[in-house]
Amino acid sequence: MSVWIFIAIIVLLAFLGAPLFTILAAIGLYAFTSAGIDTSALIIDLYKIADTPTLIAVPLFTFAGYLLAESKAPKRLVDLAQALFGWMPAGLAIVALVTCALFTAFTGASGVTIVALGGLLYPILLKEKYPEQFSLGLVTASGSIGLLFPPSLPIILYGFVAKVSIDKLFIAGLIPGVILIAFLSIYSLRVSIKAKVPKTPFEWKNVAKTLRVAAWELPLPFIVIGGIYGGAFTATEAAAITAFYAFVVEVFIYKDLHFFRDLPRVMKRSMILVGAILMILGSALGLMNYLIDQQVPQRLFEIVSQQISSKITFLLILNGFLIIIGMMMEIFSAIVSVPLILPIAQQFGIDPVHLGIIFLTNLELGYLMPPMGLNLFLSSLRFEKSIFHLSKAVVWFIIMETVALLVITYVPELSLWLPRVLGTQ
Amino acid sequence: MNLLKSIDKALTRFEGYILITLLFVMVVMAFLQVVLRNLFSSGIFWADPFLRHLLLWLGFLGAAIATSENRHINIDALRRFFSKRMRSAVEVLTDSFAAVICYMLAQASWTFVQGEIADRRILFGDIPSWYAQIIIPIGFGLLVVHFAIRALLHVWVAAGKGEIE
Repeated sequence: MSVWIFIAIIVLLAFLGAPLFTILAAIGLYAFTSAGIDTSALIIDLYKIADTPTLIAVPLFTFAGYLLAESKAPKRLVDLAQALFGWMPAGLAIVALVTCALFTAFTGASGVTIVALGGLLYPILLKEKYPEQFSLGLVTASGSIGLLFPPSLPIILYGFVAKVSIDKLFIAGLIPGVILIAFLSIYSLRVSIKAKVPKTPFEWKNVAKTLRVAAWELPLPFIVIGGIYGGAFTATEAAAITAFYAFVVEVFIYKDLHFFRDLPRVMKRSMILVGAILMILGSALGLMNYLIDQQVPQRLFEIVSQQISSKITFLLILNGFLIIIGMMMEIFSAIVSVPLILPIAQQFGIDPVHLGIIFLTNLELGYLMPPMGLNLFLSSLRFEKSIFHLSKAVVWFIIMETVALLVITYVPELSLWLPRVLGTQ
Repeated sequence: MNLLKSIDKALTRFEGYILITLLFVMVVMAFLQVVLRNLFSSGIFWADPFLRHLLLWLGFLGAAIATSENRHINIDALRRFFSKRMRSAVEVLTDSFAAVICYMLAQASWTFVQGEIADRRILFGDIPSWYAQIIIPIGFGLLVVHFAIRALLHVWVAAGKGEIE
């Protein structure tokens, strides 16, 4: 009886907006106390954060991402991409998709993209005569694509929680990530042809000029993507180089950020996110161990397997479940559900690496889902449009992402082929 | 109320200074370690455990500041539909709850650190590991203070007597 009262209170507090880490910790404290284990065991699990070399990448990449977001890097990036691809049909829309993906990969899905890049791209899209609804939908949807590319934080966290190699996950995400962008590009192409969007002519002069302006930032994606895909260094090493390089370039070379006036602010902001993530992770670790100890995943599987026998049905239900989670929670808290889902998925013969890709693609889609998706709210704040208006604007983006999601879910080879060929460990 | 606000502000500023210093150390040292390892096949032997514990410090200090700026990750879907005063009333409840939980965690981590001191665990060289672990009880302690102050401030707002931020 008292268990149910406890659960009711905890669920109520969670929905009233209590910090999720306190909710997780409360469950952990309750479980440990009623099992007669000293609560300091929770802290032993939390302390594992200081035992995992890959997690050092989290503050380093977050800091680098915030540095870039607060500098003029987004503008330089957009200018360059437009000079390179603006001449193609739907060129600007594709530029928007690619730059947003790159940016989200660097900053994590915390809405930085919509604020930093969306605000920049939306007026340009309108000026180039893209329909208003489409432009709005595009910048809203772009806020979360790119989670599958390095150095995306959610991938690092998934790897940590699921005990899967992060380098392998990054390589596995490449093809699915490209597919997602390709599907959205196809739709953009259709819209721009129908709306008769004028093309901008290609000019070498523009390319040379924008290249020169962005020259110092160009090595960054290559350090990260080349370094990790090429196997030159690990994610943690790439993070160390990226953070140091971005710091030197933005503060001392471009001088976009002042060492004393801006840098402390950027550092604090990025570490607030890191703190919030680590609190969730730390308070979840003890709880996860407890649940696994009590064989909860095994029991869940027994219940699930009585209802569902085929892998396809399981995946379909998983998709639906994760979209709802993605709609209601930040991606970082959703990752807490991985230890429960992973053992069940493995019983159905799903590879943990593939599950990670499915997981993140689902959450990307969940961010867009009316009525509660986070991107809709960020966009509504940024562009001063109603949630209802935005929901209509993203309908086609949701449809295209859903198709891409189904392809990625039901063709595991798209995720598993590349790491196998490259022999990534 | 103003007193509470300035206590919170002073504390947050202090945490910010330490946070900035530590992040700076981490960025430089992590880079140095990569350079040493890849170009000179050497490295600082204590750099890895040091950096890993630095992460813990950054996490707790970041979380403390996140509390004062109301930036913890939560489910705020429901909250968006509340009126301002209603929201503050709910915050009093959730922040007090958070303060209590953090207090219990602070106690648990103090027990943990005491165990480590008694076992004479070593971080590296002759540095005892509790030098690094002490941030766990301190961090949760800071969270208790921040959450408690927030809860008190929201009592004011809920009563219609003031504003926060």
